[in-house]
Amino acid sequence: MTFLIRTVDHTATGREIVRDREVAGDTLTIGRATTNDVVLADLAVEQHHATVELVERGRVRATSTSDHRFAHDGRSTAETQFDPAGGGELLFGTYALAFSRDDEGRVLVTVTRSERDFGNRDAVRGFDLASAMPGKRVMAWAALAAILVAFLAVPVWSHLTREDKRAGADGPDQVALDGSWSTGKLSEAHHALEQNCEACHVEPFVAVRDEACLTCHEDIGDHAAADRLLAGREPMGTGEALLWAVADTFGKEGPAACTTCHTEHEGAGRMQPTAQAFCSDCHNGMDTRLSDTRLGNAHDFGTDHPQLQAMIHQTAGSDELTRVVIDGKARESSGLRFPHDKHLSRTNGVARMAGNLSRYGEALQCSDCHRPTDDRNGFLPVVMEEDCESCHSLAYDKVGNTVRTLRHGDVAQMQADLIALDRAPRQPVVTARRRPGEFQRGGRYFQDFGRPTQNYIGISRALGKDGVCGECHVPATVDGQRGVMPVFQRSSYFTKGRFDHEAHEQETCTTCHAADTSKSAQDLLLPSLATCRDCHQGESATQADVPSSCAMCHSYHPPDFRRKEDDLPAQPAGKVARLSRKGTSE
Amino acid sequence: MASLFGRRDKDRAFAAAERRRSAEHESFLSHRSFRWAKASALLALFALATYLLIDVEPRHNGGSWYGYTLGTAGLGLIVWLAWLGIRKRRPTPGSWSLKGWTSAHVWLGLSLVVIGTLHTGFQLGWNVHTLAWALMMLVIATGIYGITVYAVLPAKLSENRREMTREQMVESLATIDRQLEAAAQPLERSDADAVIAALEQDVFTAGVLARLRGADRRDATRRALESISTERAYNHDETDAAQQKVRALLGRRASQIDQIRRQMRTKAMLEIWLYIHVPLTIALLTALTAHVISVFYYW
Repeated sequence: MTFLIRTVDHTATGREIVRDREVAGDTLTIGRATTNDVVLADLAVEQHHATVELVERGRVRATSTSDHRFAHDGRSTAETQFDPAGGGELLFGTYALAFSRDDEGRVLVTVTRSERDFGNRDAVRGFDLASAMPGKRVMAWAALAAILVAFLAVPVWSHLTREDKRAGADGPDQVALDGSWSTGKLSEAHHALEQNCEACHVEPFVAVRDEACLTCHEDIGDHAAADRLLAGREPMGTGEALLWAVADTFGKEGPAACTTCHTEHEGAGRMQPTAQAFCSDCHNGMDTRLSDTRLGNAHDFGTDHPQLQAMIHQTAGSDELTRVVIDGKARESSGLRFPHDKHLSRTNGVARMAGNLSRYGEALQCSDCHRPTDDRNGFLPVVMEEDCESCHSLAYDKVGNTVRTLRHGDVAQMQADLIALDRAPRQPVVTARRRPGEFQRGGRYFQDFGRPTQNYIGISRALGKDGVCGECHVPATVDGQRGVMPVFQRSSYFTKGRFDHEAHEQETCTTCHAADTSKSAQDLLLPSLATCRDCHQGESATQADVPSSCAMCHSYHPPDFRRKEDDLPAQPAGKVARLSRKGTSE
Repeated sequence: MASLFGRRDKDRAFAAAERRRSAEHESFLSHRSFRWAKASALLALFALATYLLIDVEPRHNGGSWYGYTLGTAGLGLIVWLAWLGIRKRRPTPGSWSLKGWTSAHVWLGLSLVVIGTLHTGFQLGWNVHTLAWALMMLVIATGIYGITVYAVLPAKLSENRREMTREQMVESLATIDRQLEAAAQPLERSDADAVIAALEQDVFTAGVLARLRGADRRDATRRALESISTERAYNHDETDAAQQKVRALLGRRASQIDQIRRQMRTKAMLEIWLYIHVPLTIALLTALTAHVISVFYYW
């Protein structure tokens, strides 16, 4: 077998010189020494660097004969085997030996020398991801610019240059992109302000001021005068004082500011009720700090709350209201006689009568007489004509099929009606003769000219203890005339707290109102504090059926008081607002 | 005497431990027996415990005194963590060695997940504040990814290299290409075109996604190989030596490209997190600035 060695050299002008020579034998020696079959004049090549020998099936094996390796197709190796027909290149220093097979089956070795630069760093850089990515700095600057413009520059610029800089401005949104500054949805009541941040956040770097709130909530009353508010407050602990000192440094208004109790951006829904702690800060042991207060101490409904008090009419016939403690002993006098127990019995005559009337069930229920208000919060006053009269009939005569009834609520009319009643039997004026024709009794022109003695007796009976009036009303002489005691009904008893019947609809009436055992209309059928506490305990009483904070019944802001300047005379001590929607008519 | 020996023994043990520490490699994760891991865990647990114990009315949010405290701590941590980008350019030994710094960076960065998230009070929305939180979480997530691939992938990288340097891989491809060009001279037009297409193909021009897809893909080299092989594979023609040689060289080229692509893929997976981690960190710092300024602007 022979090798065909083809050396390709270049002249100085770049012309190629190709020389072919044959080497007989199965082995080819390669090295710098001139005794080699292939002489490579490169100092990086060893004197006797490697041998190439033919092995079976026409393959060649290159073996390093020195300590130095060579590269086969770019891969560094000390020994390698390949088929020259499939190509192959051995690299020794700057020399490349390309193997192939010529037409006659000889192994052709083409020796070229190249000015190769082994430090092909540029190509190696291609391995790094950097060659396929925009630079980190470029991306960082782009992100920085985008965020600064969108989330800082635009909102700040449009806030500073807006036209209407008043608090509570309710025009269109004047500040662009400041929605991105909102830390959370506003409560339902403030939903309209969702895009109108500048309505509250008026001045840059100035905390939301009470004035901003008061531009809309102008009717909010002061809880008490500022000096009393300050005097009533419990001395702060070290931690709390420190927190307020920090808050003060950052320009917060202080503990009495609106935003202290009312936090916004807590998510859509109702604004969270103010926590009990905000009330108990002052009302816990307040009598020691405000010695003239008439308010009882309170800091937790379950453990520290004064007995409930109710505004009632204590003197029959008088519209004067008295505040009494609900302790089971208090009596009210509405001017009516009404035994609740008889009306709620399931077996007595009342129940029988109710059973016979289509509008009632087997027996009377509370709701048969007490009708709720439209908002179902409370109850309307009982109205005789609607709530009593279907049993307590005022009928006194019948003409044909028409029943004549007395007018309720007007004693003089009642008396006139009864006196004018011409069907009551009267003493005849003359006794001996009967009148003729149509003038006789029962005739068309009959007229009874006798004294209406029976009519007066009827009136007297009606106003008597068991008469048609006296059955329910306490008889009384008003201005020298016989009549009944004026009636004063209360539909709301609390002045400083609020009670919502609708929220208690799952309870039966008698759970709280002991009506089924009440024999007298003078019984004050209001539950005591203990009854409330069966279900309601303080805010943190998680075991209770209903953990209840102060705000469940009380409001801080008296709706009927105007906010007063601090130097004006103080409000009467002990005024706590009522949340009632019905105003303060009582 | 016994105590004297004892002390000396202790000193010797300490010196040995020191020698071992300097001689053996110690991962920055386990630096100083997980000092920063413990510190970070303590920090996170402390934040969690105080979050649960402190009663903020009406509920936890970033705007309570506790929220501001967590926020300030978080902000300080973030700025300090980002400082690594500058600190890493000055390797120094000692307690505050770069290794210790990196260890603290990783572990304290993880505790930021707890601190930052508790600072939000879990009130998230489409706003610049949540943007800052989301960027922080992304930066931490890419960091975790980075730690993971640094632990797993280098072995894969050297496994794929098979004792070749990257220069050699490029050189090998160049060698094959040189031979291929010479060997393809006798081929007819269509085959020559396929070889030209293969030679013109630059494996390094691949984009990010192409790099991440890795090897074994149909490309110009494989198409050339297929078009030359499929038509003539069973038509063994001893005289058509050129075609056989080209086929062999194309096969070698394809496998060399695969090796390079595997290398590029692993490298891409190793490096890509930094391309997110670093710009996102800058974005995070910017969003934090906007977050803090906006809070006080609309105070």
